[in-house]
Amino acid sequence: MLREFGEYLRTRPFALAGVIGVVAITLIAIFAPWVAPHDPLAQDLMASFKPPAWQADGTWKYPLGTDLLGRDILSRLIYGARYSLLISVGSVLLGTAIGFITGLLAGYFGRWTDTILMRLGDIQLAFPFVLFAIAILAVSQERTWWQLVLVLGGSSWIIYARVVRSRVLTEREKDYALAARALGASRWRVLFRYILPNVWQPIPLIGMLNLGFFVIVESLLSFLGLGLTPPTPSWGTILADGRQVMMVSGWVAVFPGVAILLTVLSISLAADGLADFFDPKLTHGNFRRVPLPPAERADQDPADGAPLLRVRDLTTIFPTRKGTIRALNGVSFDLEKGSVLGVVGESGSGKSTLGLSIIQLLDAPGRVAGGEIRFDGKDLARLSNRELTAIRGKRIGMIFQDPSSSLNPVLTVGYQLKETLRRHRSLPPHQAHEAARQALSAVGIADPDRVLRAYPFQLSGGMNQRVMIALAMVSEPELLILDEPTSALDVTTQAQLLDELDGLRQRHKMSMIFITHDIALISSFADDILVMYAGHVCEIGPRDQVIDQPRHPYTRALLDAVERVAVTETSRLAAIPGDPPDLTRLPPGCPFANRCPQVMPICHQVKPRRVAVGPNHEAACHLIDSPPSAPSQYGTTAVEAGRAAPASSVVANDNRSSRGNSSLVETAEDARGTNSISSTDRGRGESNEG
Amino acid sequence: MPLLEVKNLTKHFPIRRGILGREVGVVRAVDGVSFTLEEGETLGLVGESGCGKTTLVRSLLFLEPPTTGEVRFRGEPVTVADAQRFRRHVQIVFQDPYQSLPPRMTIGEIVADPLKIHKVGDQKTIETRVRQLLAEVGLDPARSGDYPFQFSGGQRQRVGIARALAIEPSLVLLDESVSALDVSVQAQVLNLLKDIQERRRLSYIFISHDLSVVRYMSDRIAVMYLGRIVEHGPAEDVVEKPLHPYTRALLSAVPSLRRRTATRARLRGEPPSPANPPSGCAFHTRCPLARPECAERRPELIEWLPGRQAACHFALEGTAENRRD
Ligand SMILES: Nc1ncnc2c1ncn2[C@@H]1O[C@H](COP(=O)(O)OP(=O)(O)O)[C@@H](O)[C@H]1O
Ligand code: SF4
Ligand code: SF4
Ligand SMILES: [Mg+2]
Repeated sequence: MLREFGEYLRTRPFALAGVIGVVAITLIAIFAPWVAPHDPLAQDLMASFKPPAWQADGTWKYPLGTDLLGRDILSRLIYGARYSLLISVGSVLLGTAIGFITGLLAGYFGRWTDTILMRLGDIQLAFPFVLFAIAILAVSQERTWWQLVLVLGGSSWIIYARVVRSRVLTEREKDYALAARALGASRWRVLFRYILPNVWQPIPLIGMLNLGFFVIVESLLSFLGLGLTPPTPSWGTILADGRQVMMVSGWVAVFPGVAILLTVLSISLAADGLADFFDPKLTHGNFRRVPLPPAERADQDPADGAPLLRVRDLTTIFPTRKGTIRALNGVSFDLEKGSVLGVVGESGSGKSTLGLSIIQLLDAPGRVAGGEIRFDGKDLARLSNRELTAIRGKRIGMIFQDPSSSLNPVLTVGYQLKETLRRHRSLPPHQAHEAARQALSAVGIADPDRVLRAYPFQLSGGMNQRVMIALAMVSEPELLILDEPTSALDVTTQAQLLDELDGLRQRHKMSMIFITHDIALISSFADDILVMYAGHVCEIGPRDQVIDQPRHPYTRALLDAVERVAVTETSRLAAIPGDPPDLTRLPPGCPFANRCPQVMPICHQVKPRRVAVGPNHEAACHLIDSPPSAPSQYGTTAVEAGRAAPASSVVANDNRSSRGNSSLVETAEDARGTNSISSTDRGRGESNEG
Repeated sequence: MPLLEVKNLTKHFPIRRGILGREVGVVRAVDGVSFTLEEGETLGLVGESGCGKTTLVRSLLFLEPPTTGEVRFRGEPVTVADAQRFRRHVQIVFQDPYQSLPPRMTIGEIVADPLKIHKVGDQKTIETRVRQLLAEVGLDPARSGDYPFQFSGGQRQRVGIARALAIEPSLVLLDESVSALDVSVQAQVLNLLKDIQERRRLSYIFISHDLSVVRYMSDRIAVMYLGRIVEHGPAEDVVEKPLHPYTRALLSAVPSLRRRTATRARLRGEPPSPANPPSGCAFHTRCPLARPECAERRPELIEWLPGRQAACHFALEGTAENRRD
């Protein structure tokens, strides 16, 4: 940890300077008696108001000059650091201690403990703190450092208490706290062993910031004559001494001022660095996009004839401290206008990364490292941020698993929806209301008026997800990316939502990328299915082919895993043993090799190429005899083979578009018809037996 | 003697308004639930979110003591006062693999803590036990010093299972314990749970909104709607020949390879609020078979066929409707 921090500091000169400053000042304060040339209280009346050494009349005996009583300013400053730091550090420690304990108790025990403690804090906050300090300090004759600590520390606890309390409130509701209680842990054990380790983290940072603040407050109080009783030196008292002789001997006031400034600056630089080290997202925002440089060969495809979305060799990485996570490794596919691509794979296979790469919303440090993402002819990875805003959220929409994270919790659904409508369609208010109602009805909300008035937290997950879809549909996107939109929902709600999505897609001739871990879910919904594993495409093809004639062992394993209605109690479910490979250290061969039931020696050494196994159907596995099979139509292998087959890729693309929009709708209708018949068939068969 | 008997359990939450906290109504989260559970048996509990499954589990553990009703464990009534003793025999595995483990304890500490709480043996025996438990759930004991974030969702759920098994309970409550996992990982965990049950003769209460999973795990299934059991019977019968229209609706929502469920059987809308349940049969607002009397008379849970109960005035007609179609 300390070493990591050292490494990190090397790249951050400001934070490094801050840390060095803090350490230096602390050392000086601690070792004051050895560092200081004179006793801070020793008077030399012969040398009253000696200027600093470099000025005329100055002497190196007193490098920074002397004050009225001929005391050495440098020594006083060095000793002053002791008292200034003692007071500020002491106040911070006292404040954190009181605040931490009250926050813990108030948050955990709640009810009256909480009410009393927090109201007390409110009163204190409402009362001007400096007045309070002045009132107390003014009545005491001799002010020692610990009196200042009591006053400053005692008045700052509430900041810490509030932070700790609100964190305890969140943590104690988490399942692990409940689990601890269910295990029979006492309340104190739950609080100290389980909750406490998860709530203290922001405290040191707030403490650091407060420390700088107290250094200033201490000098302020001294300035007002309410600091340490003279002659004890602190920066504040030295500054106060200097004030009276400002005109004639300016240095007496300047040096403590500089000391205070440097200290506060060092503390805040160090605090900044610390915060950044522990939580990079806090200070940087979690989103920083840098477009790829233009491709060497800019063979701009003509927009017509090309699919709506053409992804080639997409490579996305997350450079982290532990190595580079290769989340996408050369993903290629086409998406025609109006069709639905289902992306299936286990957690961590890169499905979300694929969606975020396409819409160019990767969290830092993630970035697209190569390949192209041609949407309507334009390469999204290479567009400037300005150009992208015309596409993101307008022509391409995205829906996430957790709708509550995308909706604003403090605004009503109606407000958010109408706002979006106004932005996109510039409607007057009364029309916006009607349009909002219609938008909600279009996603199957039966009582739009109630939902419009509600806040997101008042609605169920399924309802919020509908609202998200309605919001995304406002701009009538040509492509909607849905990342596990139903995985957090009940099966009943999930089924309803799929119906709505199907309706929308047919009405608007919209393309969709539907991401899920459940191949059964999209087996009837998607036109094409892309199976992903460890950032690789294992298999891609029309859904009937992929489901009826899967060619990749991983696809087969996924299919077996969802067949469980047919499983009887005595048999076992088909599971895929083991875990996916570490994406920072991908094996040289097939990424599935360590779990594949049909693994062969070659699989560990050579990465299988993607080859065509049927019309528009491709897979990457050594079990498929590669030489006779056609090369991939997506140019992945063509690139390797020196981009050999432009002709075949054109043919293949024609193939795909011949299965165009009109036939798509038919297929969907067909599928529905036959499916409902088969399901009633099943139902009938069963009840006849009974 | 059954392992667990639950009689007429209710859990009502008062709705309070204003600064004085005046009670303006109650949410009937669990509203009169009764069942028994034998040693080594699994009862499946299925229903949509908000139907009271989780509240039932928490009341059973006395994390939120029941409002009324009786819980008997091996014939002895359990009360709030001796909940602590009862908890040695009943454990729980939660849904969310990311929230159910304390993030800053190693998995070894997590599994050891129940043993420490109940003072089972010294440091040495505890260490050996932790290694055995981790191995039993298919985790590498050498990783006991790792933190939860270093594991995948499925592996974390295994840690949760090991923690629940540590004090050798006779009953484990599985509250949506696989719902948050990938389907392929669900299969691993479900198989593991079955193996453990066989080895230890455990009883399970297995809760899910997905009937296909419940069916695989359970001997009997109870279907819940708005705080009440609306159908109850042997797992196979309930899934193959459901009596209650709600059970049929749940069944039709289970995704299956290329079977798009008939839109006809689709449940419309969301469950009504348990603060203000519909009159008569609570399901009548969404029931495809509802008739006028359904809104007036509440159907009781009665035995229609041997061993099979349902709370619907037309339980047998429902199956006939299937036939007519
Ligand atoms: N913001 C991020 N920082 C570092 N790694 C990330 C980030 N987002 C995703 N990853 C990594 O990328 C890989 C693919 O993840 P993801 O796209 O979320 O997969 P899926 O959606 O299939 O579960 C995983 O190894 C994940 O840990
Ligand atoms: S290439 Fe080898 S390891 Fe990979 S999926 Fe095919 S058979 Fe299995
Ligand atoms: S009692 Fe009526 S409303 Fe209730 S489930 Fe039966 S048919 Fe439907
Ligand atoms: Mg994902």
